[in-house]
Amino acid sequence: MSFREKSAWISLLSMSVIYGVYFWSVIHSGAPAFGGLLGTVIAVVVVQVALTVGISVWKPKDAKAPRDERDKLIELRSMRVAYAGLATGIALACFFGAFDPPLVFNTNALLFILVTAETMRCGCQIVQYRRGA
Amino acid sequence: MGVIRNEIRRLRFEHGEMTQQELAEKIGVTRQTVNAIEQGKYSPSLEAAFRISAVFGRPLESVFHYSGDE
Repeated sequence: MSFREKSAWISLLSMSVIYGVYFWSVIHSGAPAFGGLLGTVIAVVVVQVALTVGISVWKPKDAKAPRDERDKLIELRSMRVAYAGLATGIALACFFGAFDPPLVFNTNALLFILVTAETMRCGCQIVQYRRGA
Repeated sequence: MGVIRNEIRRLRFEHGEMTQQELAEKIGVTRQTVNAIEQGKYSPSLEAAFRISAVFGRPLESVFHYSGDE
C-alpha cells in the first residue's frame, strides 16, 4: 500500500469516526455547542497529523517520494467526484436556507456537506488505488 | 475500447531480474504504479512509456502493444 493510499485511509477513517460521533450527538441532543464543533475539528486535525507523522516515520522513503502521474490522475478524478457532491450539497443548503432555519442548523449543514465531500474524495481515491488506477 | 499490453515483466526478468522498485526509481514513479502498468490496470503517459523503453533499450512498440477493437 502506497503512502498516498495510507494517507487517504487515515483521512477517511478519522473523519468518519470523529465527525460521525459529532453529528450523532448533534442529532440526538438537539442544539450543539460551538465548543463541541471546535473541539471536533481540532480532534480531527490532531488525529490526522499524528497518524500521518506515524506512517512517515515508519516508512520515511515512501513519505518523501513525490506524487507521480498516477497519484495526480487519481487525485484529479477524486476531486471531480467530491466537487459534484459539494455542489449538490451547497445547492440543497441554499434551498433549505430559504426557509430561514436557525444559524446552528446552517453551520452544521455546511460542515456536514464539507465532510461528506471530503469523505467522497478519500473514498474515491481508495477505490482507485485498490483497482490499480 | 482497445487494450494496451506490455512486456515489462519479461524485460525486467531479462535485465538481471530487475525489481519493480528498481524500475520505479529509474523512471520516477512509485512501485505501485509500475505494478499497475505491468498488470495492464493503468496506461502510462507517453513520457513514462518512453522512459520505460529507454531503461530496457528497446523501441516503444516492442515494450507496449495496442490491440484495438476486434
